[in-house]
Amino acid sequence: MTRLSRISTVAAVALMSLGFAQLFPAQRTNPPSSAQLVGPSPVVATLSRACYDCHSNETRWPWYSHFAPLSWVIVNHVEKGRRELNFSEWNTYYPNAQRRKLRWMGRALSEEKMPPWYYRLAHPDARLSASDRILLQRWIAGTLAGDTSAQ
Amino acid sequence: MHSRLRQPLFPTLLPVSLILVVSLILLGRQPARPETASSEIRFENHHFTPQSLTISAGQELVIKVVNASSETIEFESFKLNREKAVQPGETISVHLPALSPGSYDFYDDFHQDVPEGTIIAK
Repeated sequence: MTRLSRISTVAAVALMSLGFAQLFPAQRTNPPSSAQLVGPSPVVATLSRACYDCHSNETRWPWYSHFAPLSWVIVNHVEKGRRELNFSEWNTYYPNAQRRKLRWMGRALSEEKMPPWYYRLAHPDARLSASDRILLQRWIAGTLAGDTSAQ
Repeated sequence: MHSRLRQPLFPTLLPVSLILVVSLILLGRQPARPETASSEIRFENHHFTPQSLTISAGQELVIKVVNASSETIEFESFKLNREKAVQPGETISVHLPALSPGSYDFYDDFHQDVPEGTIIAK
C-alpha cells in the first residue's frame, strides 16, 4: 500500500465514522425559564454574557454544537452546568441553597475558575474583566448580607 | 591478633556510635506524623447516615461516601471545599486534611430537601 492510499483510507474511515456519529444527535434543549434570577441589570447582563450558556436554560448553542461528536461533549457539559447552578431556576432554590450557590460563585470568581479557560477561548466575549468580577463579588456579598437592594 | 584489631577500631566506632545515638534521640523528638483516619457516610432514603460525624481534629481523614440510593447525589461542602457527584451504588473517597476544631457542614447539592449533615472536629 502506497503512502497516499494509506492516507486516503484513513481519511475515508474518519469521514465514515463522523457520518455515522451524526445518526446519534445530542438533545440540545432550552426549556422555558419561569423562575429566573432577578437582580440589578448590570449583574444580570454580566451573568448572561459570561455564565448563561452553561448555567441557564438560555444557552446560545454554537454552530458546532450541531455536529457529533462535539455536540455530545457540549450537551453533556451544559447538562452538568445546569445541574450545578441554573439561573433560570434560581427562584426554585431554597434560600439556604441560594446562599450556598452564591458562596461557591464567589469562590469561583476569586479563584478565576469561571468561566473555564476553554470556554473563554471559544467565547472571548464571555471573559470577565476586573470590574466585572468586582461587580459580581459586590452583588454576591450584598445578597449574602441580606441587602435587598443587591437583589 | 584480636587486640590488634580492637585498638584501631575503637576511635572509629566512638563517633559513629555518638552520631547514631544523637540521631535516634532527634528522631524520637520529632512529632508523630498524623495518622489517616477513615469514616463512612451513607446516603439512603433521602438522607445521610450518620448526620453528624465526630472526628479528631488535627488528623487527616478519608471519608467514604456510599450512595445506596437509586439517584445520583453530589456530596458537597463549601467549608471543606469539596464537591463530588456519586452515582447510584457508587462509593467515593473524600480525602480531607487535618481539620481545625469546628463544625463543617455537608449536603447533597442535587437534592436541596435532603437535610444537611455535619462533621464535627474535636
